[in-house]
Amino acid sequence: MAPHDRLTTLLDEPAATALPDVPPVLAVEGLTISYGGTQVVHGVDLAIGRGQSLALIGESGSGKSTIARALLRLLPEGGRADGRAVFEGVDVLALPERRFRPLRGRSIGFVPQDPGASLNPVRTIGAQGLEAAALLDLGSKAERREAVLETLAQVGLDDPRRVAASYPHELSGGMLQRVLIGLAVLPRPALLVADEPTSALDVTIQKRILDLLSDLQADLGNSLLLITHDLAIAAERADALVVLKDGTVHESGATTAVFAAPSSAYARRLHADVPSLNPERYADLRAVGERRHRDADATPARIEVAGLTKTFGRGDDALVAVDDVSFSVPAGTTHALVGESGSGKTTTIRLLVGLETPDGGSVEVAGAPVHQHSRAELREARRHLQLVYQNPFTSLDPLWKVERLVREPLDRYGVGTRAERRDRVREAVASVGLSEELLTRRPAALSGGQRQRVAIARALVLHPDVLVLDEPTSALDVSVQADIVQLLLRLQAERGLTYLFVSHDLALVRQLAHTVSVMRHGKVVESGPVADVFAAPQHDYTRTLLASVPRGAER
Amino acid sequence: MSSTTNRSAARRAYGRYAVRRLAQAVAVVLLAYVFTFLVISVLPGDPVSNVLRDPQNNFSEQEIARIVAYYGLDQPIWVQLVEALSRFVVGDLGVSLRSNLPVSGLLADVLPSTLRLAGAALAVALVLAFAIAFGVRNLPAPLARPLRAFPSLFLSVPNFLIGLVLIQWFSFQLGLFLVIDAESLLATFFAAVALGIPVSAQIAEVLIANLDHEARQEYAAVARSRGLGRARLFTAHLLKPSSLPVVTVVALTVGELLGGSLITETIFGRNGVGNLVQRSVATQDLPVLQAVVALAAVVFVVVNLVADLVYPLLDPRVRLDASPARTKEVSA
Amino acid sequence: MTLTSISTGGEAAPPPAPATAAGGGPQRRGTRLGPSRARGILARLRPSVLLSFAVVAVVLAWSVAPTLFTSYDPAVGVTADFFQPPSAAHWFGTDHLGRDVYARVVHGTASSVTSALVAVAIGLLVGGFVGLVAGFVGGLVDVVLARFVDVLLAIPSFLLAVVVVSALGFETINAAIATGVSAVAVFARVMRAEVLRTRSSVFVEAAAVLGANRWQVLTRHVLPNASRSVLQLAVLQFGLSILVIAGLAFLGYGDPPPASDWGLLISVGKDYPLAPWLVYAPAIVTVATVLSVNRISRWLRTTD
Repeated sequence: MAPHDRLTTLLDEPAATALPDVPPVLAVEGLTISYGGTQVVHGVDLAIGRGQSLALIGESGSGKSTIARALLRLLPEGGRADGRAVFEGVDVLALPERRFRPLRGRSIGFVPQDPGASLNPVRTIGAQGLEAAALLDLGSKAERREAVLETLAQVGLDDPRRVAASYPHELSGGMLQRVLIGLAVLPRPALLVADEPTSALDVTIQKRILDLLSDLQADLGNSLLLITHDLAIAAERADALVVLKDGTVHESGATTAVFAAPSSAYARRLHADVPSLNPERYADLRAVGERRHRDADATPARIEVAGLTKTFGRGDDALVAVDDVSFSVPAGTTHALVGESGSGKTTTIRLLVGLETPDGGSVEVAGAPVHQHSRAELREARRHLQLVYQNPFTSLDPLWKVERLVREPLDRYGVGTRAERRDRVREAVASVGLSEELLTRRPAALSGGQRQRVAIARALVLHPDVLVLDEPTSALDVSVQADIVQLLLRLQAERGLTYLFVSHDLALVRQLAHTVSVMRHGKVVESGPVADVFAAPQHDYTRTLLASVPRGAER
Repeated sequence: MSSTTNRSAARRAYGRYAVRRLAQAVAVVLLAYVFTFLVISVLPGDPVSNVLRDPQNNFSEQEIARIVAYYGLDQPIWVQLVEALSRFVVGDLGVSLRSNLPVSGLLADVLPSTLRLAGAALAVALVLAFAIAFGVRNLPAPLARPLRAFPSLFLSVPNFLIGLVLIQWFSFQLGLFLVIDAESLLATFFAAVALGIPVSAQIAEVLIANLDHEARQEYAAVARSRGLGRARLFTAHLLKPSSLPVVTVVALTVGELLGGSLITETIFGRNGVGNLVQRSVATQDLPVLQAVVALAAVVFVVVNLVADLVYPLLDPRVRLDASPARTKEVSA
Repeated sequence: MTLTSISTGGEAAPPPAPATAAGGGPQRRGTRLGPSRARGILARLRPSVLLSFAVVAVVLAWSVAPTLFTSYDPAVGVTADFFQPPSAAHWFGTDHLGRDVYARVVHGTASSVTSALVAVAIGLLVGGFVGLVAGFVGGLVDVVLARFVDVLLAIPSFLLAVVVVSALGFETINAAIATGVSAVAVFARVMRAEVLRTRSSVFVEAAAVLGANRWQVLTRHVLPNASRSVLQLAVLQFGLSILVIAGLAFLGYGDPPPASDWGLLISVGKDYPLAPWLVYAPAIVTVATVLSVNRISRWLRTTD
């Protein structure tokens, strides 16, 4: 508290997001942020009650992380924040840096987005922990060291001493995020700002980290500002929500109210686009493939994978990436490979499209084996078997224009005349819902969703039967993801395409796939029709995965 | 997680790495010798006979015969090469065509002067580079911005010009007669400044780029969120990861220092290796040139070997036990 | 199901860059360039870059048509006018033979610029080819070529240039060749690294999946993407070569007087300490040229 600050007396009632009976620990009014003259956040109001949690929800470019940085006064050079942000009675935006610095860490803690990049790689965890402990005004170094070990234990790290002696690269992402949370709560701040604290982590870890944040909040009584793109997580974890789009608040209020009955169009759309909240959203489109699946006995499987095995490395270093994996996909249906990072799902599809050679087992696509091929035969097989990559920001040559990118497969396979190729490019681009004026653009001038549409158009232009989709939406915002998913389902319904869909997102799989294989450590632990696996999971791991899916307000 | 088995595996990996790097270093030195030999002998002209037959040199027929036999000049080139290499391997650098003295003796006479100069220049370069980098990150913007242009400016100035300007200012304007005793401490200092400034630019550029890069990393923001001020952030967080790669850069500038000393020694009238090279070039004394190149390659290779061996010990991020099998092959 | 029932790429292009620049939000959006690329680049041309282009343009003009810029003869002077300091009549003063220094600098430009271009061309072609082959073929070829590059790197480049020029003979063109040889290693290293980087990128793999053969991958994807850094290096090396060739000329390994290469002018000028303009005039021209070239190279690096 800084009672001498005159501004505090001007503070009237808390803004709408704090619950009425709780005094706000932070009240933001008319927050405007600009970078070099460009305004990116326009007059945002929000308030967090003491001990309460508030989720700030938005897609990329909404300005949510920028707001977090502005509150910590950590905007990069050229960034400028105006308006008022009254924290414990003091307008922190008006303070000189010299007087704000004592608040950083001590009163406002910060949990970053990417734990792997958020600790100094050449210093030990313990050394960086001592910096946080220094804020506690403890007497001796031994006491500070003790405080660090204590907090590491508190955030659920088994061997605090070893963690303290480790360098960041020696720990997993989940452990690092625990460390960062521990360091943030160590000085007992009144407010913890968590900027997408789980978006870089696997789903099961994600749940545990969110649980940890909730538990700590209950134990320590701090307030929590949770920045997230995931409405379901927000609704599950926060007392109040603020929905942000393009730097403007579209909706705010208590979670129960906003979540149950969103009043703004954007919040409604956001709600509709979250897969876990709308499992049956594409039921109509999915039903087409469902019927094909039911008739599966009549039609031969389009993809047949049997006993697929791949080991990387030799001797002690050997890693069995794919271990005896088998599945089959009937024509015109979608099979999903689900697993966390390191489960072997990506290696499986690389084997499937012939980018790696298996140590054992076989892959047949449309009855023809993919491996034991000459180069020319593999090339011919790939004509009917196309791959869409996870990240459209790396899978398109940055120097090429859309027209040439989409035409490339036609050029390579020498399809048709020049005029025919041009027509097919236009047709493919139209079928993925891109306007023709984009044909002359380079990838850098496209949004993420547009890039992924280009990648899909490129895969479709040869009229393949099978599309292998490697997490095609994981790099995209949820609303963009919904568009892409709908596009994929429509194409399947229209053209009878067979999809192999790789994902870590069970809710998404539930929306669009017909059959599923759950992978872990290179093995398929469970497989079957989507409805069965989701309704009655047989394997513990599947159950854990399902339990980790955030489902929105249950509190 | 690092268990004891992992640690010993890492140690074994380091051992393998060290042996491999050592073998590479030896190979590079030998190949550098071969390369120079070929450049000198394959290119047109027959400097050796020219020198031997030069009446001014007064070589007697016996001496000529002895030298021709020593270098195998009547043999095919590859025989000469094999003989030269086998002498080089045992440390015999040959005999100067000019003075008829062993090259190793000639080199030993001038080497200390050059090493003093190069060492001092490296010190100047390091001090200057770190001072510039420190200023760029810590001074207020009106001072820091122009400071950023310094490395680029230093890189654009011919190093002989810096020497000339120093001499002009200090010798002629201030009367500090640098060239009278070229090996004096003061003269060595000024020569080192002339030689070190361009080198400092390279180090400073890398250092500043690294500091800027590290400051943009998320961990820097997170460290500030723990209440660290700018100064602490610089010393505790940014300096180490930014300086580590400089070890490699410094090792690479050794070539620059040795090459640059050629000119600097001429300007400052120092009697070092550069001066020896100059004289040998003028008189086509090929054995000496060959030996100097070999020596320079040895120095460069040894310094870089040390840097490469030390680096993994300094930087905890560098792990040598990463299995190489994960590289993706594009089958097209 | 009809085409109209789906949203047609509803997502708009990302909002102006600051969201990414802020380091806020997931790093999903790449850097963005509007459709009017060229206009954007022009707008971002800083004054220092414009000035650099101007300096380089003047220098190139000097080398192409020196007589347009000076009416004095570079080789013959008015002996009576010796050692005149810079003035309106003699911008850079006169030397011991009364020759106009400005005329000598202007007429020496062609030789200095051409020899630097020759050096860059040798480094670019030989080094670029070595790096390309090493990076793209890989395997044993890469190992062998990498050792070759290591050897070139191990010999201090100026020393290597001196050895080569002394084997070839003391002429400016030989100094240029020697400088080019000493730059081969740098080009090879950068080209190899760029080729490896591009070759391992996802879009190259994607092209292979889409049916491109090795040759197509090389010419359509790898080379265009790798060439950008190499071209930027070429510009940088052009500046550096001017310095190295000047250094060789300074030591007397280029054409002898009355040639007037910049390095030679400085070298001759140093013998007359009481006429400092003899050193400073060609020196300033050299430094300004190299500084401008470096600035342009830097600008190329930040522009994509």
